[in-house]
Amino acid sequence: MIPELMIALSVGAALFGVGLYGALSQTNLVMIIMGVELILAAALLNLVAFWRYLHPDVTAAKMFVLIVMAVMAVEMAVGFGIAIARFRSRGSVEMEEARELKG
Amino acid sequence: MSLATALFLAFFGVAAIWFGVVVFRTHSMVRSAIALLFSQTAIGAMFLVMQAEFLGVLQIMMMATEMSVMAIFMVMFMMDPGGMGKMDMTHQKRLSLWAGGIGLVAALVVIWTAGWQGPAPDVPGADEQARLLGREILGRSMFIFESAALMILTAMIAATMVAIAPQEEDTQ
Repeated sequence: MIPELMIALSVGAALFGVGLYGALSQTNLVMIIMGVELILAAALLNLVAFWRYLHPDVTAAKMFVLIVMAVMAVEMAVGFGIAIARFRSRGSVEMEEARELKG
Repeated sequence: MSLATALFLAFFGVAAIWFGVVVFRTHSMVRSAIALLFSQTAIGAMFLVMQAEFLGVLQIMMMATEMSVMAIFMVMFMMDPGGMGKMDMTHQKRLSLWAGGIGLVAALVVIWTAGWQGPAPDVPGADEQARLLGREILGRSMFIFESAALMILTAMIAATMVAIAPQEEDTQ
C-alpha cells in the first residue's frame, strides 16, 4: 500500500462527489460549469497521483494532464459563450428556464 | 513513506475539499468563485507536494486567471451576485446528493480495495522532468499536442461567434 497515493486518490474521489452534486443540483449555468470544473480537477489530481506513485517514468501521463487542462479551458470558454448568448436572448442564465431546448 | 509528504497532502486535500463544498454552500456567487479558486490552488499545492512542480505552478497560474474571469461573469449574469437576498438556486437536491454520494463511495471502494503495490519509486528532479516533458511534447506526443492547440483555437472561434450579438442583416 502507498499511503500518499491513497490520500491523493481519496481527495480526488471527494472532489468528484462534490462536483457531481454541484453540477446536478445548481440551476445557474455558471454554477454548473463550476461543478464540472471540480470534476475535472479531481481527474487531474488522479492523473498526477498515478504518475507520481505508480509510473514516474511515463512522461505521457503529464501530457494527459496538459490535455485535461486544455479541456477545462475550452469547456469554460464555450460555456461562457453560450451563457452570453442565452443572457442576450432571454435575460437570464437560469437552466430551469431553458426547457424549450428540450426536443 | 515520508510522513511530511503525507501530512502536507492530507492538509491541502482537506483544504481543497472544504473550499469545494463552500462553492455550493455560500449564497454569494463571488464568494463561490473565490472558494473555487482556493480549492484549485490547494490542488496545485498537492501537485507541488507530489513533485510535479511544472504542473503545480501551471495549475495555480491557470486557475487564478480562470476563476477571476469566472467572478466577473458571476457579477455580470447573476440576479443576486452578492447573495444578500439568500436566493435558493438549486433543484433536485435529493437526487444530486445521492448521485454525488454514490459516486464518492464507489470511487473510495475501488481505491481502498485495489491493492496498489509500494514502495513509491523515486522521481527525477524538476529540471530533468521539464526536459523529458519537452521531449515528449515535441516527439511522440506532438500530434496530440497540436490537436489540443487546434481544439483551443476552434473553441475560441466558436465561443466568440456564439457570443457576438446578431447584426441586423443576420436577422432579416
